Amino acid sequence: MKNDKNRRKTATAFIALFLAMIMLAGCGKGKDDKEEESSKKEFVYVPEYHQIDFGISSENMNISQTVASGDYMYMQVNAWNEESGSENGIFRYNMVEGTLDEIPLELGENDWPGQICVTPEGDVAVIISRTSYELDENGEPINYSSSLELRVISSKDGSVKNSQDITGIFGEEDPYIQYLSMDGKGNYYLYGGDQTIFVISQELQKIAEIKTGDWINGMVASKEGDIYVNIYGEKGPELRKVDLASKSIGESLEGLGGGYGNAEYYTGVSKSIMFSGEKVALYDIASKTQEDIFSWLDVDVNSNYIRGAGELSDGRIWAVYQDYETENSKPELLTVKKEKADNVTPKEEITYGTMALDWDVKRMIIDFNKSNEKYRIVVKEYGTEDYQTGRTQFNADLTTKNCPDLVELSALNYTQYASKGIFEDLYPYMDQSGLKKEDFLENVLKAYEVDGKLYAVVPGFYVTTTMAKQSMVGDITGWTLAEMLDFVEKNDPENIFDGGARESIFYYFIYNNIDEFIDWETGKCFFDGEDFIRTLEFAAKFPSYEEMNMDYSEREGIYSRLKANKILLMQSSISSVQQFQMMMGMFGEKVSFVGYPNNERKGNLIQSTGGCIGLSAKSKNKEGAWEFLSGLWSKEYQESKYSDWGFPVMKSALEKKFKEDMTPEYYEDENGEQIEQSKTSWGYDDFNMEIYAATQEEIDQVRALLESAEKISGNVDEQLTNIITEESAAFFKGQKSAADTANVIQNRIQIYVNENQ
Amino acid sequence: MAVRKSAGRLDNLSEERFDKKVKRKKKIKNTRQFVRISFATMFAACFAVLFLMPIVLTLTNSFMSASEISANYGQVFATSDTGGKVYISERVNLKFIPDMVSFSQYATVLLKSPEYLLKFWNSVILVVPIVGFQILVAMGASYGFTRYRGRIKEMIFFLYIILMLMPYQVTLVPNYLVSDWLHILDTNWAIWLPGIFSPFAVFLLTKYMRRIPVSVMEAAQIDGAGEWQIFRKICMPLCKGAMCSIAILIFIDYWNMVEQPLILLSDAEKHPLSVFLSKINAGEIGLAFAVATIYMVPPILVFLYGEDYLVEGITYQGGIKG
Amino acid sequence: MRLFKGRRDKPAGKSRKTNSNRRDRRGKQISVLYLLPSVIGVLLFFVLPFFIVIYYSVIDDPINAEFVFFDNFVMVFHNAAFQQAAKNTMIFSAAAVPLAVVLSLLLAMMLESKIPFKSQFRTFFLSPMMVPIASVVLIWQVLFHYNGMMNEVLGWFGRDKVDWLNSAYAQVVIVVLFLWKNLGYNMILFMAALSSIPKDILEVAVLESATPVQIFWHIKLRYMSSTILFVTIMSLINSFKVFREIYLLKGDYPYDTMYMLQHFMNNTFGKLDYQKMSAAAIMMAVVMVVLIGILFLTENYFGKDVEG
Repeated sequence: MKNDKNRRKTATAFIALFLAMIMLAGCGKGKDDKEEESSKKEFVYVPEYHQIDFGISSENMNISQTVASGDYMYMQVNAWNEESGSENGIFRYNMVEGTLDEIPLELGENDWPGQICVTPEGDVAVIISRTSYELDENGEPINYSSSLELRVISSKDGSVKNSQDITGIFGEEDPYIQYLSMDGKGNYYLYGGDQTIFVISQELQKIAEIKTGDWINGMVASKEGDIYVNIYGEKGPELRKVDLASKSIGESLEGLGGGYGNAEYYTGVSKSIMFSGEKVALYDIASKTQEDIFSWLDVDVNSNYIRGAGELSDGRIWAVYQDYETENSKPELLTVKKEKADNVTPKEEITYGTMALDWDVKRMIIDFNKSNEKYRIVVKEYGTEDYQTGRTQFNADLTTKNCPDLVELSALNYTQYASKGIFEDLYPYMDQSGLKKEDFLENVLKAYEVDGKLYAVVPGFYVTTTMAKQSMVGDITGWTLAEMLDFVEKNDPENIFDGGARESIFYYFIYNNIDEFIDWETGKCFFDGEDFIRTLEFAAKFPSYEEMNMDYSEREGIYSRLKANKILLMQSSISSVQQFQMMMGMFGEKVSFVGYPNNERKGNLIQSTGGCIGLSAKSKNKEGAWEFLSGLWSKEYQESKYSDWGFPVMKSALEKKFKEDMTPEYYEDENGEQIEQSKTSWGYDDFNMEIYAATQEEIDQVRALLESAEKISGNVDEQLTNIITEESAAFFKGQKSAADTANVIQNRIQIYVNENQ
Repeated sequence: MAVRKSAGRLDNLSEERFDKKVKRKKKIKNTRQFVRISFATMFAACFAVLFLMPIVLTLTNSFMSASEISANYGQVFATSDTGGKVYISERVNLKFIPDMVSFSQYATVLLKSPEYLLKFWNSVILVVPIVGFQILVAMGASYGFTRYRGRIKEMIFFLYIILMLMPYQVTLVPNYLVSDWLHILDTNWAIWLPGIFSPFAVFLLTKYMRRIPVSVMEAAQIDGAGEWQIFRKICMPLCKGAMCSIAILIFIDYWNMVEQPLILLSDAEKHPLSVFLSKINAGEIGLAFAVATIYMVPPILVFLYGEDYLVEGITYQGGIKG
Repeated sequence: MRLFKGRRDKPAGKSRKTNSNRRDRRGKQISVLYLLPSVIGVLLFFVLPFFIVIYYSVIDDPINAEFVFFDNFVMVFHNAAFQQAAKNTMIFSAAAVPLAVVLSLLLAMMLESKIPFKSQFRTFFLSPMMVPIASVVLIWQVLFHYNGMMNEVLGWFGRDKVDWLNSAYAQVVIVVLFLWKNLGYNMILFMAALSSIPKDILEVAVLESATPVQIFWHIKLRYMSSTILFVTIMSLINSFKVFREIYLLKGDYPYDTMYMLQHFMNNTFGKLDYQKMSAAAIMMAVVMVVLIGILFLTENYFGKDVEG
């Protein structure tokens, strides 16, 4: 059959052509995007800490900037102490030999050194800002003016090699240089913060202005001598080349990855650019490849405390490290070198799985890893890339032997997982370690119990609640949905909450209250009943999301609206006594914490902070894992200021915190009298308040609120809320009746409930 | 026009009148046939239009600019923050003719973002070995089933049929566990191996091979041919048509698979295009149609190429005497 | 009406006396060898998983494996969601599969009758198999959504809007979707089968003044019985695949008339509730075995005198 033969031939030809086309287009670019994971198991990275003695006696010292050139690190150090006020200095530290010199810098009284950078010859260029003012008749300063000077000094003796007043280059009143860099030809690049880079030649004359087109987060010179700016693009931080010749910014560099969080770019030594964020990587511009070296967590370093980093000529990575959260901490130099794994004794690994690593837990893990000789915690974060895929992966891992030893659940529905039997009951462990139930807030422990067993350690918590004026709702501590609807309908305010669109109001009513409509025991659902429909119709009285006026500037402030009873309720979380005090201040009168509507009238909800961590029943290192967990509930940790956010769960620690909240702080005024000063100031919308020490009454109220919470928030299966949101949207757009919508919701959720019986 | 022996009116008529009557009958038959044929054609044409519509739609929409597509279909594909669906509140129409023909979709897919092409290659890499090797394995198996049938073999064959009918959910989780145990999870092997050993091809090929007259094989045996020669020289050539058609069926089946890669390959880089297409959300619908068109091309080409084989092949699957 | 039998070879597999028993035995062994790779693969990747499923269905918990034997089955059987799903799946298959078979047969017969452009039509009808699911789902949503095109058409006729996907009509929508996707394939099969019925038998039947109905029922059907069985099995397999489209249209928990067994299994899988999923899967498997067994027996009976 000739026709078919011909047809076959043409089809084959097409296939071949098509494949060739795709191949050319795809193969060329496809493979380069992948990062090369250098998982060298034969090598391990070992950190070393070096103390630097700056010779400055001060309590508060910090390194404001570090620049590396060769094996020298140049630092700008600021220190403040009571006697001499503030001191500044530029120091040069030889990282290989460990010697420190100070570079003398002549400063006038009102001079303030700013950004520095280092020339290839080893001179330091520093921006000095100078404010000058005149004194009027009373001796008060008036007529401020500021000027900027770019001064190049020799690093050996501080002698001035070049100096230029550069105030005139910038067209503005009070210029401030945010970033300073130098390219391979000796030109200086200055960025003032208004999306423009000014380029100054080596002779200190202005040669160009380059618009960046966007805010930049940093400038870095590559090893080859080009300048790149760090701009936050669509996919995260990007580096784009600054082209002096064409006075423009180029395309972003390909192949850079993993730059979320506090990522900084530094001039590379072995390759073009070095990058330090959660991990350290080297990037080569020519081949567009990135080589990951190690992650800071692996070497027990908290990346949050790294001020500057770079490469040394001997291949080590250095960083300046200062734990600014601890008092009186001094900056240290940290070098990381590559060692054969055989030389380092391996420890038992405990895996810690989480969607995203909590700040406080990270510190605990690093401390644990440093101090514990037997165990090492390895963190696996699932949510770094695509959140949904990460979650599916997390779910899958939980059921197989890939289950991490420690599982952190704050991003997931705790009760659902806890009742699956994948976690260990922690009460026996507590008994063994001598941790007594009575030492902790019972209601919090109970809230995390399932069938009388405790499946997670929760170091801290806060309470989410709803507040209303006591004069309006009465002295109640909770209400049912029907009662709340009655109250709101009776008063019919402009809006119950601030920013209440019908969708969010509806969501609020239903969100934590699904249990009222579902009887999990018998499996009956009540979504087609009166209450649900009433809620739907009530919510529909409010404007929809699109109709709402989102222009905040025109709206009356929350505080004034509260006072005028134009808003009835405030939703908030109470995570500190100071926040409580602010809320009370905002209301201006007695407040009832009524919580979310709930048929048991227990609407104040608990939310964990600092992790909600369970111990996997399949773990092979249960003792080690428990060692870490029990540390979170130890007296030291609970009583330490490990977090400013949330309340500790241990009773004694909570009382200690309360005591501190009640202790006033004083300062001395000119006459030597002790004047109480505010602990902090809190503001919310149009309301600002200085918070002073709390009274006993206020503490008691907070305590009562904390103890009244019995349920965990965020405990509703997302699928249920998805169904409700999807279907109710039809009603809220006015296209379906409430009864129809309720029927559909009832139908679909009934299936869900039936499945889970 | 042979004269037949049968009772009927024709006997008594003379030859001429007989001829005329037959001619008239033929004419009536012809017109009736004509009407019937044209009616059938029109009917078939209607159906054909219905059936073709999605392909045409995908094709024409792939020439729209991304903004036009978002404007038109944006709401259908939107997902809310928690992964639920967004309600489509306004009427959405199927647009067949683009307002403005633009190649931007193709330009982006082919030139700018290589991710889609990567996924395309993943699809190819996953499917081609399955097709090739499943047929290979099936050839051997069906030969084994065809020769020397016995009770045990029939039971095994029945087992094959049952296993073939299982929906994937039944075997997916255990497949995950087995793959984990064999340490092939997250590699392409976790998809290849279950695919290569699927009973589907065995079933079809065996049915076909059993149509070959046993006498042929026996004759060869008497002539001194060994099993391997019978296999190579008799069974294989005769089954060529069936193999082609089975290959096409397998190709289309696995080209569209979604759940297996999702569960067994956790690395999204390795996912085939079918998975990607089923996860299109609001951010990417601009390219969806171009990608879908590219996705459709291999099956269409495979089909065009092998269509005749397909028909020839499934002729015998029906079990008609060969 | 008896057909005359054409020349036919003796069916294989019946005992036959040969002189080379030893060669036979060796041949048998070799044929088993040919079978071996496939059997090993099937054992490993299909039978073993199936046994794992059985194992899961008789234990209590993936963690502490206590045997509870039939408890899971009883629990699942009494589960209202499972009952709903099973009912829907059965109704769907009972409606869709016969429809698919019968309709495609009719279409095939119509197309076989000497219309032009036959092979083009063939290509067209097979096209739904190629279209990626995303495009299909898009079109279906646009058509059948509450604000979609079908409701607009209804509006022209002055009727109320029907929430197609959220009501009892949902089953109609799904059946239409299934038919659209599978009619082409079935039809091709039937067309091929029809075109290879031996012409001489048909002519004889015509000459013997058989009516078209008789021709169809006694000749064509008998010759196509094996094809019909095959098409039924394939349609049954494909009727389970429709789950994917429903899932993409309405998510994990659609309206209860669309809720299929696979939804149940998929969701329980997602909730790590393996016992339920396995028990449901086994029950489904048992039902299918019975069904297929019946189908086979019917086919054997029907087509017995046509072929071996």
